Amino acid sequence: MAKNDLTTRNLMLDSLRQYAKNRISFNLIREHDAKNEIPLDILKEMYDHDVLGVHLLLIPEEYGGLGGQTTEIYRICEQLARIDLGIATGVFATFLGSDPINVGGTPEQKAKWFQKIAHENKLVAYGATEADAGSDLVSLRTRAEHVVKDGKVVGYKITGSKMWISNGGVADIYTVLALAPGGPSWFIVEKGTPGFTQDAHEDKHGIRLSNTAGLAFDEVYVPAENLIGLKEGQGFLQAQAVFGYTRLMVAAFGLGGGEQAVETALEYAQQRIQAGGPLAQKQGFMLKLITPHYVRFEAARAYIDWTAKQLEVNNHGLATEGAIAKLYATESGNKAAEDAIQAMGGFGYTKEFAVEKIKRDVKITCIYEGTSEVLEMTIFRGRWQEHLKSRGQYYLSQADEFDAIHAQNPDVGADSVALGFRALARVLEDCRVNKLTRHQYVTFMLGDLISEMEVAAVFTRQCANKLVTEGSRFDIASLCTMARVNARQSAFKVASEGLRLILGTCPHINTAELSQAVNLVGIEDKMRGLINDMDTVSAKLREIFKK
Amino acid sequence: MNIIVCIKQVPDSTQVKVDPKTGTLIRAGVPSILNPYDHFALEKALDIKAKTGAKVTVLSMGPNQAIAVLRLALALGADEGILLSDRAFAGSDTWATSYALATAIRKIGQYDLILCGQMAIDGDTAQTGPGIAKQLNIPQITFCTHVDASGNQVVVKKLIEGGKQVLQADMPVLVTMTMPVDYAPKYPSFLAAHKAQDKQTYTWTAADIGADPQKLGLNGSPTRVDRIFPPPARQKGEVLTGTAVELAGKLVEILKKESFVK
Amino acid sequence: MIQISQSCVGCGKCVSTCPFGALSIVNRKAVASAACTMCGACVSVCPMKALSLPASAAGAVKKDLSAYKGVWVFIEISDDGRTQKVRPVGFELLSKGRELADQLNEELCAVVIGDNVQNYVAELSQYGTDKIYAVSAPEYHTYNTLAYANALVTLIKKYNPSVVLFPSTYIGRDLSPRISSELFVGLTADCTGLSIKEGNLIQTRPAFGGNIMADIKCPDYRPQMATVRPNVFKKVVTTAGRMAQLVSETIPVPVEAGKVRVIETQMDPVSSDQPLDEAPVVIAGGRGMKDQEGFALLQKLATTLGGAVGASRAAVDMGFQPKEKQIGQSGVTVASKLYIACGISGAVQHIVGMEHSDVIIGINKDANAPIFNVCKYAIVGDAKQVLAKALEQLKK
Repeated sequence: MAKNDLTTRNLMLDSLRQYAKNRISFNLIREHDAKNEIPLDILKEMYDHDVLGVHLLLIPEEYGGLGGQTTEIYRICEQLARIDLGIATGVFATFLGSDPINVGGTPEQKAKWFQKIAHENKLVAYGATEADAGSDLVSLRTRAEHVVKDGKVVGYKITGSKMWISNGGVADIYTVLALAPGGPSWFIVEKGTPGFTQDAHEDKHGIRLSNTAGLAFDEVYVPAENLIGLKEGQGFLQAQAVFGYTRLMVAAFGLGGGEQAVETALEYAQQRIQAGGPLAQKQGFMLKLITPHYVRFEAARAYIDWTAKQLEVNNHGLATEGAIAKLYATESGNKAAEDAIQAMGGFGYTKEFAVEKIKRDVKITCIYEGTSEVLEMTIFRGRWQEHLKSRGQYYLSQADEFDAIHAQNPDVGADSVALGFRALARVLEDCRVNKLTRHQYVTFMLGDLISEMEVAAVFTRQCANKLVTEGSRFDIASLCTMARVNARQSAFKVASEGLRLILGTCPHINTAELSQAVNLVGIEDKMRGLINDMDTVSAKLREIFKK
Repeated sequence: MNIIVCIKQVPDSTQVKVDPKTGTLIRAGVPSILNPYDHFALEKALDIKAKTGAKVTVLSMGPNQAIAVLRLALALGADEGILLSDRAFAGSDTWATSYALATAIRKIGQYDLILCGQMAIDGDTAQTGPGIAKQLNIPQITFCTHVDASGNQVVVKKLIEGGKQVLQADMPVLVTMTMPVDYAPKYPSFLAAHKAQDKQTYTWTAADIGADPQKLGLNGSPTRVDRIFPPPARQKGEVLTGTAVELAGKLVEILKKESFVK
Repeated sequence: MIQISQSCVGCGKCVSTCPFGALSIVNRKAVASAACTMCGACVSVCPMKALSLPASAAGAVKKDLSAYKGVWVFIEISDDGRTQKVRPVGFELLSKGRELADQLNEELCAVVIGDNVQNYVAELSQYGTDKIYAVSAPEYHTYNTLAYANALVTLIKKYNPSVVLFPSTYIGRDLSPRISSELFVGLTADCTGLSIKEGNLIQTRPAFGGNIMADIKCPDYRPQMATVRPNVFKKVVTTAGRMAQLVSETIPVPVEAGKVRVIETQMDPVSSDQPLDEAPVVIAGGRGMKDQEGFALLQKLATTLGGAVGASRAAVDMGFQPKEKQIGQSGVTVASKLYIACGISGAVQHIVGMEHSDVIIGINKDANAPIFNVCKYAIVGDAKQVLAKALEQLKK
């Protein structure tokens, strides 16, 4: 069978939307949220092959699945997040839990476990995190000891504990990371194996429709054939191989959650009459609380989609891009949800409307699969290497590319992207000369600035190529306006924030010279018409999201 | 048995909005759906297929994006899809649309039952089904709530003024379907959506179906829009404001004044 | 797509007219996008006459339109299983037809197909009818699409009318497109207005599924055909006591008509509720009634005032009322003595279904709701609360 094309993808999304419309009411979500309870029947139904069969997407075709491409999986993730991030997390945990098998499993292991997951609709959990080992897996404590029979390793005894495992209390199959004599390794453990118990479900701030629990292993015996890849010591590599991919999915969660919150607020604002007119007609309201978020959503969408398409070619890797996508989209989604409450005032603060729940839910996207701070560090490390290797040319050459784009397309903000990249190159170079990366704070902030500029660049380039990202509801002209707004603000952030970091750590540097070096005035000059552009975007938003 | 279902892609009416100032429609960002009447007709065709093993072909006319509704139909169980897509069809009113669809059906050749939705929610005309039937010179039964076919006969239940009627007809026949008020359209599973990619979809142009250019698009459309205009604003009546109790009092006064209550 | 000539000055008038958002101004010239459906709505608004539809490729063969004369109304006979009589919408169409015939200076004709058609002649004559074409035979007792279509097509081809009006009933909507398809003429469904302009029938209806009205014409084709819902036009007796000229025609029923056979007819039990389209008082509710409790209030008021309950499309979509209670373009048209619109914002879809009522009262929270544009009394307040209080006061 062929890979799914865009039409099929959209059809799957329609089916998912329709299912949610018929079966997952806001009342159902609210009740389960209040009770802190996973709607297992809904999850099981979503796995039903005749209803949706959503888990089939992650299973390769040869094992009875759909072999979903990165693009459709992220779009399904975005849509799931719009429905409920707790339910989305429950589905995603199966995706994530199956990944070690996908990456490291032998053909026999894949055949056995994927067919089980596909045909018996098994829920899977991913057991990596421990009390002292989050993203930093080096401190792993859970151990797997050899069980030897007739001089041969026939199995392992796992001892230790895991915490905050999504689907922890409800999964049928667990992939568990443990330290074997040969190094960290992944094991498949089935529910009900003697010595394996699950803790009580956590009482969480958000995503309360997802089950999160600790796992305890007391000399749990698993046969040697359950060692993924049948070779010890591959665990970290297998875990890291999918980071680019899994983080992209969480990025889609941040995007979906944020969009749902702001869309709710915007629809409300179209109807709420204040001082003689709908709130949505008020410029200050829109420009402060609504419009900037849509600009960032569309930038995030463009970046996520671009990364997904790259991943489809490269299969794995792209750790830096995955981190950028997640940092940008989840932080944007989180801030957007916060502003959605503000936009709705008292209504936003009550449980009558979904936004306060979304705000609680979406916060997790800035935490799981790598906190924003871990991501900032990852991004910084990845690009710092590029900066050093290229002797400072990495972003300068990209700046040239965007100057060329601007010459062809003066309306997509490519001039600002070029200015932003030059400023970024200069900031990085000053950090190198003055050894500023010894300040951890500086490295975090640089990670943030890098992600800001790279997302702006991709968004602008997509617009220059007249590419409307699939799933976007905007036309190309509106997207160009958004790209223009976004590029200007990103460039300004890089220049002004860069200045703050350098002067904040090197008081002796001449401010005027530095300001000239990052061309702050040139970047500020691009601000002409920015507010007018944002008003244009606001008008478009009112048109699209009118109820 | 060969069943042809004519389907149309339409803007989701629940999401089409009106600009309060100009009165014109806002279609920006409005998603497209399969016309719900056609969706229902398709489900009925698939019910007959389940019982009799009939072959179900879906036929649509529209831009390339309309392939999406054909795909949906294939995923739900239709066997083959045909899209009529050509600039020559642009500007077609119901006459030219009926002609083009009927000409395509003649090219398909084999048909016993043609099912259509009674109308499209973006036009509300209910003319295309009967138009096709006439062009093919076969009988039609319109506004049906139930349809069943076996052998060479169909039995339908249709709406009439103030009641219902059960009719029987010899095939070939064209039947247009209305739908229940609480109709919730069926959507396919992911697997079915995926598998539908492998089913055949053909795109035919006006030349492919051998249509007479004089009967296509604007040439084949007797109707013309003379002008469009916002609904005329009338003189506003008396405006009453106040608390609910005061307003209720005013309402009762009006009812008395206009002598609807003593 | 639409053609735009060099004389375009980029004024932008067409841009806001386009119902499909297909026009934009680029470099001070109008440009049409692929969204253009060639509906032609923009053609008449251009002050420079720069917009036009592409001329037909080889020039369609033009008929001699002057050979077509007369305004015809298809008269539907209703049958409840016991008695047959003229469906009242026929009188409404004859009344409107009289106006059109006067403007065209042509005759008004009723066309009746059925059994014992002569029974209706006197009644049909009162509305200014000049002539009645009657096709009367026992085989026509029950409606059959192919039999009726054949009879009408035969008559139209023989006498060449310029206008044929049909009721927008199940029968009218079944028959008229079959005929227009055969004759290659235009047909406009569910018109809310009919008039004559430069010899053409101008057919007004809400269009493009939204809040906009369109005038439709068929300048090059005859006859011009339209359907109209019951209660849209008022019936006016203009020629009481006069007898129209009866022209009887014998037209055999074609054999194919036997391919479709009626097995059973079930008339709905005559409900205790008044039929919505005949009720003197209609209390209609919309989204603003919020819940079933709100609709219960409407029922109470309807009972108090001796009327029937109706609903907007939104309320029907939300499941508060069954589809047959829907008032508007895609539902029932009413012309009651009193119409109270409660919590209905008043989309044009709804307005066209009730605007002919005598006294219209609107109750809505939003002072800018379009419903107030057609109301004699605009009560700005929460409909549910106002009704609850009013019912208390009416009880006393």
